[in-house]
Amino acid sequence: MSKAIYRHIPISHLNEDELLALSQKMKLSLSKADMLAVQVIFREENREPTDVELEVIAQTWSEHCKHRIFGARIEHSLDGETEIVDGLFKTYIRNVTFRIMERKPDFVLSAFVDNAGFVKLDDKLAVCLKAETHNHPSAIEPYAGANTGLGGVIRDILGAGKGSKPIASLDVFCFGPPDTKQEDIKAKDVIHPLGVMRGVVRGVRDYGNRMGIPTTSGAIQFDPTYIYNPLVFCGTMGVIPIADIAKEVKPGHLLIAAGGRTGRDGLKGATFSSVSLTTASHEEDQTAVQIGNPIEEKKVADFILAAREKGLIQFVTDCGAGGFSSAAGEMLSETGGEIWLENAPLKAPDLESWQVFISESQERMVIAIEEKDLPAMQEIADIYQSEICVLGKADGTGILKVMHHGETVCRLDCSKLHEAPRRHMKGEWTTTESEDEGCYISFDDSPETGNQLLKALMADFAIVSREPIIREYDHEVQGNTVLKPLAGASGDAPQDGSVLRVDGSDQLVSLGLAILPEWGKTQPHLMGRACVDECVRQLVAMGTNPDRIAILDNFCAGNPDDPRELGALVETTKGMALTAEAYGAPFVSGKDSFYNYFKTSEGPISIPTTLLLSGFGIVEDPKHVVGASIRKVGSKLCLVGQASSGLAGSVIARLLMQGAEAGEDDALDFPNGPAFDEKEVFASYHRYYELVKKGAVLSAHDISEGGLAVTLAEMGFSGKAGLKVDLAEVPTFDDTPAAEHLFGETPGRIVFEIAPENAVLAEELGFTVIGETTGDGQLTITNGEDKLIAVSIAELKPIWQNGLKQYY
Amino acid sequence: MASKPKALLLKFPGTNCDAETASALQAVGFETQVLPSALLETSSLNDTQLVVFSGGFSYGDYVMSGRFAKLSTKSKIGDGLKSFVDRGGYVMGICNGFQILSQLGVLPEGSLTHNTSGRYICRWTGLKKNASSPYLSELPDNFELPMAHAEGRFVGIGDAAGDYVKNGRAALLYSTDVNGSTHQIAGLQDETGRVFGLMPHPERFTIKQHHYDPDWNGAEHGWGYYMFKSVYSAMA
Repeated sequence: MSKAIYRHIPISHLNEDELLALSQKMKLSLSKADMLAVQVIFREENREPTDVELEVIAQTWSEHCKHRIFGARIEHSLDGETEIVDGLFKTYIRNVTFRIMERKPDFVLSAFVDNAGFVKLDDKLAVCLKAETHNHPSAIEPYAGANTGLGGVIRDILGAGKGSKPIASLDVFCFGPPDTKQEDIKAKDVIHPLGVMRGVVRGVRDYGNRMGIPTTSGAIQFDPTYIYNPLVFCGTMGVIPIADIAKEVKPGHLLIAAGGRTGRDGLKGATFSSVSLTTASHEEDQTAVQIGNPIEEKKVADFILAAREKGLIQFVTDCGAGGFSSAAGEMLSETGGEIWLENAPLKAPDLESWQVFISESQERMVIAIEEKDLPAMQEIADIYQSEICVLGKADGTGILKVMHHGETVCRLDCSKLHEAPRRHMKGEWTTTESEDEGCYISFDDSPETGNQLLKALMADFAIVSREPIIREYDHEVQGNTVLKPLAGASGDAPQDGSVLRVDGSDQLVSLGLAILPEWGKTQPHLMGRACVDECVRQLVAMGTNPDRIAILDNFCAGNPDDPRELGALVETTKGMALTAEAYGAPFVSGKDSFYNYFKTSEGPISIPTTLLLSGFGIVEDPKHVVGASIRKVGSKLCLVGQASSGLAGSVIARLLMQGAEAGEDDALDFPNGPAFDEKEVFASYHRYYELVKKGAVLSAHDISEGGLAVTLAEMGFSGKAGLKVDLAEVPTFDDTPAAEHLFGETPGRIVFEIAPENAVLAEELGFTVIGETTGDGQLTITNGEDKLIAVSIAELKPIWQNGLKQYY
Repeated sequence: MASKPKALLLKFPGTNCDAETASALQAVGFETQVLPSALLETSSLNDTQLVVFSGGFSYGDYVMSGRFAKLSTKSKIGDGLKSFVDRGGYVMGICNGFQILSQLGVLPEGSLTHNTSGRYICRWTGLKKNASSPYLSELPDNFELPMAHAEGRFVGIGDAAGDYVKNGRAALLYSTDVNGSTHQIAGLQDETGRVFGLMPHPERFTIKQHHYDPDWNGAEHGWGYYMFKSVYSAMA
């Protein structure tokens, strides 16, 4: 006869240090203050907790689930001036969004309350986007870590509203450089960046392709700081009828678990991801990594979408971090209720009670239904071959009661469970503005220098084509990918993002993203601003209405207890909020991941503060979709925005500083970042959109990594025409050195192609014609008579196209 | 025929191109039903003219592509699919559907196995007609479709592939070597021509906007549309 396996853990008599030791021994990742709060809860009830209860509290209060750093009170010092940040999330994310929602009442339908935020697509449908990280699992088991990273975020969408349909995925990775020498890796058991890259890509491929969700957008950053802590972001977009967004669990509802079985895989993932990695993690924490089975998830997805269409779902959420404890905990947080663990189908028969309740085994969803609908649910589950069980029932007591074979193994007051003690933290940052203008790159009369620099940039890991990886992902399944990741006349030229049709709507959705960790090393505030700008700019360039864009913030940082690292995070958040508010782009979801540092024998190695800013928007007409590849000979090329001085964080700066390792590095300093004005820039996006609506824009590409020269080359990779640009036409040309115009990365800039007869229209809207497309297949950039760059596009393309092939 | 021809699309666990394939069938005029395989029985085929096996990863395809779907189909309807063809029915397999049809033995013998690169490949490919087929009648000799698969390399016993090219069983060839398929075979038909399987995805190119080149203007619809339209015309 099966019975509950659990025990009571005496804590009432323990002192602070003993409590902390217990937390460490059980790997609860709870601090001294947290453990004291736990002690108070059980002292009030005059009893000792069970192991199940301690595990539930540990999962619920973990940084991974509760985001306690974004809720903390932070004493932040900027250049010696101290301010109090009363919660980063509340101040710089939620309140910014609420103000934008007041200004634009009919766009955001919900934010921060569900698995993902929703925006209105048309009168019937809404779209949502969610992105997550799976960094620690991917570090120790790249394939399974990334596989379940994508599987997890897809379930977030299936659990958004009463079940959204996933329609596209994005994936963004930060790895060590592919050419890292093995002997340069300073800790045992760390997987070489190539091994991490191959495992992660295949993990995403095998999950996304099997699910039949197109992976349409992505990015990869390579930097030595990511060798020990690779970052893996996975995101999924979904669509749902607006009427099916609101959901509620009421007393009397049954809780149904659907999908995969519960096992020992994925124990304590939430707490594991809330501490730093060490070599020991590679040996000891394997059970924290889940094992994915995408077909199980495909079956449960088909089941949920069919059940939702029949109106049988009252509430649904996914089993992510914390497993049943967080899913059921969330669903019963208002009403309370009973859970019957013995009903859950298991992978192995002898699981302990706490293991059943917190296991993060994949492909599981929890659904609330009316009791009378159980037979109808069973019928649909049978059709789609998804296993279901009755896991529990909501009862209105406000108490979460977990039963296992008739014994109460956990009994917690829902209100106390969700009140984690608030953290108090310290941050500091010193800005690095300098009077010194930094390096100056001089050009001879011949274009040799410019050509060489451009070729070096086209071969840089930051810029080379991601084609070998993109082709491993099915980016066209569902038949709605209108603007594909590789497009143009030859089908292999880079785009700014992707645009998808939505079944049942005349309007389309666009997907874009920006990640600029190099900027964050010295200019976190500027990085926050630039990320929002770049993401919005990509969406606008592709034909999105600038007023119908929503964004997501995904932060990754190292050690939050280091004031400088926390200070960089605060500055990033402030910068991000400033630009988001200026652009009226609300945050609808977000997530953060801390403790991305690795303890080596020579000390900790942290990642730079990294912000993935992803966004989605509405393209109102299929005719508005704009790709990034030149379409015709004889078109005019126009510029949105102005270059400013400052190369900090740029690819060219990194390239030149790399080349100067022989002791002359003080001559190659780039202390300042570029300047831009949000108000001016956003007004220019509106004016650009006027041209889009008239159907006048033939192609457009943002100016980002590598600057104008790289943008022009990439536009030429369609093979349709050459490009000839005269920088002397740029109004601010004389204020800034030529190199900064060519290779600088000032935000706010787009190059677009327009038919000659429409050039007047563009000029009337304030845009400058800087050149034209030609029949000679050359990229020519001049300063009046002087040629700065003159190179054949056919020569540049293979450099760019083959850069990653030898490594993947 | 008074009423519209009917198409029945079988959906196995892991089938994932059913929605867009059903849309494509409807767009050319078929009355289309998507049938989850759990509900499949011999009589399911009684009232349809076309049975479609669409793309995806049936049962995950962890063992060999199409293998489990074949076993599941056989256990439910035995030789029902063969009888359906003998009665004059049409059967179309796209990508994973082609793999399943090969396993079911309703197409010329051979295997669809891993691409020579060992990779999944998502790209567009040129195609050329090698024989007449009711699925190709409204298409030009050369056209393009997207492809997306890891196991699309056709391999036959001895020089079976060469024979298929000569006798027209290999109705469709890739115009370049994209995946290592023997003689660049992209699609096969049975001797009646009513059973047809191909690796590329016609349902992903039914409208102009599906093409990667915004200036593509080869026809009023995408080429995939004309493939479904061809078989519709053959039975309408």
